[in-house]
Amino acid sequence: MSVLRSHVNPGSDEFRANREANEALVADLQAQLDRVAAGGGERARERHVARGKLLPRERVDRLLDPGAPFLELSPLAAHGLYDDEAPGAGIITGIGRVSGRECVIVANDATVKGGTYYPMTVKKHLRAQEVALQNRLPCIYLVDSGGAFLPRQDEVFPDREHFGRIFFNQANLSALGIPQIASVMGSCTAGGAYVPAMSDETIIVRGQGTIFLGGPPLVKAATGEEVTAEELGGGELHSRTSGVTDHLAQDDAHALQIVRDIVATLAPRATAPWERAPVEDPVVDAAQLLGVVSADLRRPYDAREVIARIVDGSHLHEFKELYGSTLVTGFAHVHGHPVGILANNGILFSESALKGAHFIELCDQRRIPLVFLQNITGFMVGRDYEAGGIAKHGAKMVTAVSTARVPKLTVIIGGSFGAGNYGMCGRAYSPRLLWMWPGARISVMGGEQAAAVMSEVGQPEIGAQLREQYERQGHPYYATARLWDDGVIDPRDTRDVLGLALSAAANAPLPDVRYGVFRM
Amino acid sequence: MFDSVLIANRGEIARRIIRTLDRLGLRSVAIFAPADRDAPHVREADEAFRVSSYLDIAGVLDACRRSGAPALHPGYGFLSENPALARACAHAGVAFVGPPAAASELMADKVRAKEVAAAAGVPVVPGFTEAQARAAAAPYPLLVKAAGGGGGRGMRVVNRPEQLDDALAAARREARAGFGDDRVFIERFLGRARHIEVQVIADAHGRVLHLGERECSLQRRHQKVMEEAPSPVVTPELRAVLGGEAVALARAAGYVNAGTVEFIADFDDHAEHYFLEMNARLQVEHPVTEMVTGLDLVELQLRVAAGERLGLAQEDVRIRGHAIEARINAEDACREFLPAAGRVLAYRRPSGAAVRVDDAIESGSSVDTAYDSLLAKVVVHAGDRPAALARLDHALARTAILGVTTTTGYLRSLLAGDEVRSGEIDTGLIDRLAVPPPPFTHRQVAEVAALMALAGGHERRGDDPFDRVDGWRLGGRRAASWWRLGVGLEQVDVRLDHLGAHELMRTGPDAWVVDVGGDRREWFYAPDGDVVWVGCQGYAWPVQTRSVTSEQDALADGDLRAPMPGQVLLVRAEPGDRVRAGDPVVVLESMKMELVLTAPVDGEVTELSVAVGDTVAVDQPLARVEAVAAG
Repeated sequence: MSVLRSHVNPGSDEFRANREANEALVADLQAQLDRVAAGGGERARERHVARGKLLPRERVDRLLDPGAPFLELSPLAAHGLYDDEAPGAGIITGIGRVSGRECVIVANDATVKGGTYYPMTVKKHLRAQEVALQNRLPCIYLVDSGGAFLPRQDEVFPDREHFGRIFFNQANLSALGIPQIASVMGSCTAGGAYVPAMSDETIIVRGQGTIFLGGPPLVKAATGEEVTAEELGGGELHSRTSGVTDHLAQDDAHALQIVRDIVATLAPRATAPWERAPVEDPVVDAAQLLGVVSADLRRPYDAREVIARIVDGSHLHEFKELYGSTLVTGFAHVHGHPVGILANNGILFSESALKGAHFIELCDQRRIPLVFLQNITGFMVGRDYEAGGIAKHGAKMVTAVSTARVPKLTVIIGGSFGAGNYGMCGRAYSPRLLWMWPGARISVMGGEQAAAVMSEVGQPEIGAQLREQYERQGHPYYATARLWDDGVIDPRDTRDVLGLALSAAANAPLPDVRYGVFRM
Repeated sequence: MFDSVLIANRGEIARRIIRTLDRLGLRSVAIFAPADRDAPHVREADEAFRVSSYLDIAGVLDACRRSGAPALHPGYGFLSENPALARACAHAGVAFVGPPAAASELMADKVRAKEVAAAAGVPVVPGFTEAQARAAAAPYPLLVKAAGGGGGRGMRVVNRPEQLDDALAAARREARAGFGDDRVFIERFLGRARHIEVQVIADAHGRVLHLGERECSLQRRHQKVMEEAPSPVVTPELRAVLGGEAVALARAAGYVNAGTVEFIADFDDHAEHYFLEMNARLQVEHPVTEMVTGLDLVELQLRVAAGERLGLAQEDVRIRGHAIEARINAEDACREFLPAAGRVLAYRRPSGAAVRVDDAIESGSSVDTAYDSLLAKVVVHAGDRPAALARLDHALARTAILGVTTTTGYLRSLLAGDEVRSGEIDTGLIDRLAVPPPPFTHRQVAEVAALMALAGGHERRGDDPFDRVDGWRLGGRRAASWWRLGVGLEQVDVRLDHLGAHELMRTGPDAWVVDVGGDRREWFYAPDGDVVWVGCQGYAWPVQTRSVTSEQDALADGDLRAPMPGQVLLVRAEPGDRVRAGDPVVVLESMKMELVLTAPVDGEVTELSVAVGDTVAVDQPLARVEAVAAG
């Protein structure tokens, strides 16, 4: 195993230019995160707190073990959607440690339109449940929501991946022995009432949480009965009479303490499917990452410069270093977890695809999780390459990626275009988690290429339009707003994010190795 | 002189005797009960033998025989005043480092001891027969005492003649149970008194010296808490009188070796004093005498027991400066001084110039309620009393004992009191004083506990990235941490800025300098499962990190509901009544059972919605008690 060395010159103009450009991107990302963290704005927050309720982020902080990290998922969901009136899509999701156990936490933000479910809120909630399923993590729902956002009922209610799927998932997660715990800290109306009702163990905050299928106005309209929200579905009713809830809390802090006590009673987690080694920090200065990463996607740089700043001790045991060199493959550790890294170092040729497929199989056999560092414009095109069977060689890599049983994690660090996205484990290939760097781009092909293709087929004006469209839709914010990823991250967070994700992934046992037919 | 000595004791006194043996170049032989096999005294002795118990005379003498030790030092407590041990030693040809059996038997019998004292011209507390006590002219209050007793057991104060029979019966019962001897006697009771005792040492050649007095008035329920020498109120003239009387008594009793003659003195007129009893052994508080006289009492005991002559005369005994001893006990001052047990998780010994520490513990020691609760004696010496008080407080402030509740902090609070500082002390003072609160609030303690738990967690964190405790969040941000901690009976919610925001300085394996509201101090920390112990300035607190209240308790806002359908049998409180948690409010009869519904909190009954005879449904609210802050 060799120690990677950096070949960049931190004093160079290029380094400085990269750093300045990337720092600007990161600063903007941080501004977006700050905006989202403020939820539904100052007035909504004040109203929320005046009711004796804790703000959703404080609920999460108090729920977690003191000082524990929280790997938040898709904090910029719904960015630029719905006139930006639903920061974070009004819901906070992520992975954090509670009473010593990694759990998925789903917390409604009632300061955002009463915590109602926009289409992206539903998608983010379902994605959190998927993360829980794949990683076998207990789910904790901190419920404070008025249910579906009624004006968009056609986008949140009827389809397979809509609101009802939340409860379908709860039933099936519970059936798999993945605990479902709900704490009702505000409204929990109509369909929302099923979140606590479908949970294994449920808490409600007295004088604050309410659960009912129809609220007082609906009841009045339907039957003429006049009843207060507290009488209709308050904590006293549900804890002492209906049995919909199992625990009655005096306030938010108490409810969160009860959640922690419940998690402490859960059966122990499965043993990790791989062993962790002692952790070493990278020996190459990780803080230089922003100067190393090319600010211009068209300017290539050695992927090993990134790997050296992410892996333990900057150690990389390369596989087929001299073959198919546009794909770097090698064994390393991240925060002690063994990983097989696949990183693009140029476009994919048949050799690189074959090498990638081989390496994925190796890691799968050895129970080593896969980390994809995507920076790919696509597979090589041209007569010789087609004749050489690049399609079937690419298919081998796609087959290996699709069927490998080990956890896969993807970071889109540059371009993510065309079939390269497939071979390098894009969203469709169900990596356990996938992130984008702020300078990355994702689309079926580059805007330039799309424009050029349209010009070739005689429609240059459509080409110009496509260039603009691809540029806009390929932006990480556009992607993360639509849950095409699990978040845009500061490149310098990559190592920690991967480490946390690997620890979370180690909660799930591995199935047996099994592949489809490789076209030879 | 003997070449080796067996020490029939444990704890601080065994270690203290070993130190003198070491200094004299004599071999020390320890004994230990099975649970004490790792105790410091076992390690520090040259040899150690296991016994079934420290009270097993045959076992102790067998250890003597096996070790070949020609002498036995009994220490204090256990067998030290049991004449059977002295006799068994004589029978086995082992020199007993203590008085002859006859003398200690005589002094153990309070009635005979008093007679001997009176005959020797020592003033004794006027005594009364039962008949005299029943006479109208009897000067109440009187005191009923067990003839074979000590340490306050079998003792009863009688204020009025009609209480006498009950007091006699109770004292006899306790005496029989405690000492197997139900003889009691009656004497005058001094309401407000000082406890002053005189150290004597006598050799077998007829020389008897006194080594000055010790004032031991600071007592809690007859257990000494702090002792000092000299007494702040004894003049040289009075010292000569007391010393002369003590020597006369020792001579009259045929006493040899070290002993202590205890007197009580009237608080208002110190010269008016009476013989109380003579303790035929080395006292716990002997170090204060050693510090002011410069003598080693254990060495003198050994020389006398070896038949040597005392190498000094009365005029050679000089009292220099002032010495005070404070006893650190494993007791909870906030809970009526209940004995505490546990494992010592962290221990910083009291320290400072002219500070002597005779202790029984070290880090890792387990403290068992089966033995005396004394963990350490902190003894200081200074030029005068104010300087000694300051030095003692300083030494206690530099002490940390975590894992077991001790009286260290309480002693500091006591030292700060005006009465102690002025020396206006009597044997009832401590029982009259409220336990002063420590100088830190529960919130401060909880904040420090959280901060140190975080810092400790940071150091102990494993390789798993989820083990980190720095509040990691995306984008380089760091979140605050939240804690729900139990200090005393209070639950405190603490919010702490992320770890990187705090300036902590490590000062030891279990100590950090921590900033509490701008005040930087050294705090001690030791985690123990769900409890973290923190300590500062001699004070220490166990802090609970898991929830301590049940939902019932947490919700105990005071609604009393019927747990079953039934009928109201009794109503025990009316609206407006003040009640304490646990007081009965309503009694129901249901399914032939009586259900007592008690107040869930301290407070006031604000609503009562039922009356006797009412039929109630399950969960029906019956009454409401609203919490009222304890006033």
